[in-house]
Amino acid sequence: MRTYQYLKPTSLAEVLELLKHYGPKAKIVAGGTDVMIQWKKKLLSPDYFISLRNVPELNFISYRGDLRIGSATTHRTLELSPEIRNNFPVIRDAVSGLGSVQVRNSATIGGNLCNAAPSADTAPPMLVLDTEVKIVSADGERSVPVRDFFKGPGRTVLEPGELVRELCVPEPLPNTGMAYWKHTRRKAMDLPILGVAVLMSFGEDLKTCVKARIGLGVAAPVPMRVRAAEEFLEGKVVDEIVLNEAGEMASEQARPRSTIRGSEWYRREMIRVLVKRTGLMCQERAKGEGRS
Amino acid sequence: MTELYVGKSCARTDLDKVTGRAAYINDIRVPRMLYGKILYSSRPHARIKSIDISKAEKLHGVRAVLTGFNTPDVRVGFLGDQAPLKKDKVRQFRDEIAAVAATDEDIAEEALGLITVEYEDLPAVFDPIQAMQKDAPLIHELDARGKPRRNNILPLPWKLSAGDVEKARTESAFVVKDTFTTQWVHQTCMGTSGGIAEFDANSNLIFRSVTNVPFGGKDRLDMFLKNIGIAGATRVLTPFVGGSFGSKLDTDIYEFILVLLAWATKCPVKIMFSRHEEFTASPPRQPVIATVEQGCDSDGRLTFRKVDMILDNGAYTSWGATTPSVMMIPISSLYRVPNVDFQATCVYTNNIYAQAMRGYGNPQATYVVEQSMDQLAEAAGIDPMDFRSINANLPYENTPMGLKVTTCPMKECLDEVKTKLNWTATHGKRTGRGVGVASFLHVGGGARVYLSDAQGIILKVDDDGKVQVITGGTDQGQGSETIIRQMVAEATGFKPEDVTIFLGDTEVCPWDVGTHASRHAFMVGHAILLAAGEVKSKVLALASKWMANLMQQDFQKKARRDPNFKLPELDYGVLSDPENLDIQNGTVFLKSEPDNSVFRIPAARILRKAHLVGTGKGEMVTAEAFYDPPNEMLDRDGKGNLSCCYTFGAHGVEVEVDRETGQVTILNYVAAHDVGRAINPMLVKGQIYGATIMGAGYALTEEIQVNHGRVMNPNLLDYKILTAKDEIPIDAVIIEPIEPTGPFGAKGIGEPACVPSAPAIANAIYDAIGVRIKDLPVTPEKILAALKSQADDHRPR
Amino acid sequence: MKQTLRFTVNGHPVQVEVEPHWNLLRVLREELDLTGAKQGCGEGECGACTVLVNGAPVNSCIYPVLEAENKVVLTIEGLLGEKNELHPLQVAFLEKAGVQCGFCTPGMIMSAKALLDQNPAPTADEIRHALAGNMCRCTGYVQIVESVLHAADLMSRRTAQEPV
Repeated sequence: MRTYQYLKPTSLAEVLELLKHYGPKAKIVAGGTDVMIQWKKKLLSPDYFISLRNVPELNFISYRGDLRIGSATTHRTLELSPEIRNNFPVIRDAVSGLGSVQVRNSATIGGNLCNAAPSADTAPPMLVLDTEVKIVSADGERSVPVRDFFKGPGRTVLEPGELVRELCVPEPLPNTGMAYWKHTRRKAMDLPILGVAVLMSFGEDLKTCVKARIGLGVAAPVPMRVRAAEEFLEGKVVDEIVLNEAGEMASEQARPRSTIRGSEWYRREMIRVLVKRTGLMCQERAKGEGRS
Repeated sequence: MTELYVGKSCARTDLDKVTGRAAYINDIRVPRMLYGKILYSSRPHARIKSIDISKAEKLHGVRAVLTGFNTPDVRVGFLGDQAPLKKDKVRQFRDEIAAVAATDEDIAEEALGLITVEYEDLPAVFDPIQAMQKDAPLIHELDARGKPRRNNILPLPWKLSAGDVEKARTESAFVVKDTFTTQWVHQTCMGTSGGIAEFDANSNLIFRSVTNVPFGGKDRLDMFLKNIGIAGATRVLTPFVGGSFGSKLDTDIYEFILVLLAWATKCPVKIMFSRHEEFTASPPRQPVIATVEQGCDSDGRLTFRKVDMILDNGAYTSWGATTPSVMMIPISSLYRVPNVDFQATCVYTNNIYAQAMRGYGNPQATYVVEQSMDQLAEAAGIDPMDFRSINANLPYENTPMGLKVTTCPMKECLDEVKTKLNWTATHGKRTGRGVGVASFLHVGGGARVYLSDAQGIILKVDDDGKVQVITGGTDQGQGSETIIRQMVAEATGFKPEDVTIFLGDTEVCPWDVGTHASRHAFMVGHAILLAAGEVKSKVLALASKWMANLMQQDFQKKARRDPNFKLPELDYGVLSDPENLDIQNGTVFLKSEPDNSVFRIPAARILRKAHLVGTGKGEMVTAEAFYDPPNEMLDRDGKGNLSCCYTFGAHGVEVEVDRETGQVTILNYVAAHDVGRAINPMLVKGQIYGATIMGAGYALTEEIQVNHGRVMNPNLLDYKILTAKDEIPIDAVIIEPIEPTGPFGAKGIGEPACVPSAPAIANAIYDAIGVRIKDLPVTPEKILAALKSQADDHRPR
Repeated sequence: MKQTLRFTVNGHPVQVEVEPHWNLLRVLREELDLTGAKQGCGEGECGACTVLVNGAPVNSCIYPVLEAENKVVLTIEGLLGEKNELHPLQVAFLEKAGVQCGFCTPGMIMSAKALLDQNPAPTADEIRHALAGNMCRCTGYVQIVESVLHAADLMSRRTAQEPV
């Protein structure tokens, strides 16, 4: 009978010990909304699952201007958090549209990033927030900027024995607007045809962009930043025309594919349109609430 | 007397569904039950060189491994073109090659993995037009009788002609012609398919099935048993069903496989489809390629309609190949068009094959006709709403197909749409916002697609005052249980809460041809009226016998207890004539004095008295009826009055198209429906909402993506039915002309609302942005591509 | 190898032997005969398997059963009152026709209950957001939303009548 042992450690130290001990025979599982389906489909068959659901050290939101999120924090917790809603709405945009309430009650931000689908909804927001991914193992810690975290579809830089402990988001500049747009065919239970996150920090005039970040999902084998378009925006007075041009540049830099979920040419078109629209949304948000 | 229950939005009465007690096929277990699983082909077209089941057979817990080599070669399907387990060839990815029965599902699944099949690939063909060519690979080399086939075209030449289309064309002021295609979509019932088969000691088959056609299913299984040499009869039991939408009208291959597994193991065997199997191995809606040509005179009156269709029949044949028989209805009779020519060719390919789905061909046909109508209106320079009004069907006219229209509020339905969408102000502006309309007609009073269109019913009344309804129909969720209670209460005079319903057993229930063609309410309503009339007469006859006696008993009892009580002097004679009596809410009373508190007796007491007379003269109350409606089978030319009445309607949609993304937002949706009479308006609206959302999915998001015969999106993530967040503001308008042929004036409503959604939406998109999408679904990509090409066309050279 | 799992289901403590790879839905349906929750897809897409775990709706078909240890699970069968009376949501789904074939209904009602427990007076939009993960093919969702609004109304009237 095809089965596994299901381990429920209650501390991070225990998790890391188990990971080290069982090595390639073990797999981390948080909410299980990706992993358990993959197990059912026989895409993975570990001897041991190490659950993160009962490890309080991995389940937290800490906000002091900057933001730290435990990797096993559920999307639902993020969705309902006033600190996230008020200060990091790009995260709320992503999690509130991800799956369903049922999925969000189990699924975690760490799981979403480590599953590393090109369509991961939390990836573009993490990219535009300049997030640092804190990685631990029994042998130590390291930090990787999220833009270097993904290696390919379903693959990250995590080495055997490593685990994402938390995500660290630096305090945004004043007058920052941020937003994530998930382009789908229906309004729920959908993967994005394209996901666009934009963050722009403005000068006091709320028109000149001093910092720009653009994160795209489903536009390449991994979630990607679009540095050329970002640099183009920085220093400019932002309006629809400028944003359209940034969108064009983003579209040119992206490497979308044609799949059953969407064609390449349409994805390229949408990059241009949605970078522009999401950028405008950022500008509105920056104006609306001063900071974000 | 005013009606008490019919016409009221009474609450649903199926408590078991909200409490978790309702047992669906998924929930049923019987003692000694084994679990069956099916191995499907991994090739679209190949010879089977060998199947090795030796390892699978040895797996502990496996009780049977069946293939085409160790089971009798018997053909099934209405064209007899497949065997349940394939032996010589596989012709599509879902071909069933082997079946396992084991003590649990996991073992059965494991056993499948131990079966090895050797194939020799054959050239495959996935395009029906290519499949029609002379040199196309033959999907079936032999026909059902073993004679060699010359090509892939099915011996089902659908054809309907009326008048003279060629002549009418020459007399037309305006003519349009275009080609449209529709896609495979899936019924996507929330409950997946499954069944449990077992044999009793007499070799009778007891089959727990999700079928909507218990008696038809029984016939097919009886025939199958006979053909495989089993001398037993079938009993079909139907539990609660998690939806049907047409998917349960044929006997599916897995059901025949269940019979084989049950026979081989002599145990009950259950098969439950996974969602993946549901999408890959349960047949979907028939796709079509249609060329439509229509013409009108200078006043906008339709002169002719010519439709040529090609149907991708897939590898085998189920009801999808008969959908042209229903397509004939809108093609010949939607709007008044005197000259009609229709033909449809079904072609074998190595794709998936199709069965029935809600609307049974009508959605496809209406899609193509109603887009063409808009094109013709434009060519004639007439507003599309006015164009439809000019050509609207009228009451009590016969159509070229021989349909005898009775009540027909099509104009009223169109007017509702016109008013509610503020049509005149909104149409024709090309602002990115637009309105579109499409009408439909469908059978409303049954459909004699088989020799019989009848339904039997038995009513029995017990001495606790409860009426038991025994019906051969099935409930797919449409609420027949609730409206049966309403109609029986209304017609018998008992209370709806005192009506119980027994269905789902071919051994007990009277015969019914099946819950299809939106016929159940119509048929059961008529059957109820017939039988209830008899129940009422019998109860009142008994009342006339015993009511006075019971009243006197009561007075005497009272007098014994209370010496001051005086026996009233009453004229009991009036009670001895049943004509003077009536019954309502389970109480018998005097017609001339309905408020008289003395002349009232619960019917239950009368029935009890009738049972317990004690003199060898007891009586009981039962009644039966076999309602066989006065409709006709279609003749050889495809003509006849298929239904007792027809239901009409119009859907109007206001959309906004985002020119940068191609996305469509539905701002307003008016669904105006002729229902004859709403037995329960709330439930009628439920059908309208549900079917409209299904139609909107057909129009915008749903598609089984088939690539070289393989279903690429067999899951609920990538096959996109609409979710609760995909809200469409639907105004469901019920129009009640009171149909004289209908029970209480009602017509059927189960299917119609999914028929006009797609063309209404497509027409609205055209109004919004001037691009016409001629296939389905209308996706943002297609719209954006069309907009770009429109922009290119308009670019100055 | 089976392990002993202890948790509370519909107010009763239960103890059941489970294989570690089983999901909660299978245990509820096969081991505890609570067949109200349904398997519609097995992949956490359709929501027909929705039950409440510590008050939160989850897709039990992908919920690892060992995570239910010491938790409180509520299924549709647990909604009936002590005197077998229907919960207002159950009444409402009948009165406003939120149920047709009924297959999605147990999951739908559980998701709605979780919503009303948190938000006793939701708007139609909030209801649709809460039910986004419960697919229905029969109703088109319109009368489901009406049923939940009606249930909220029934519950607020009931609360108003209760003695303080």
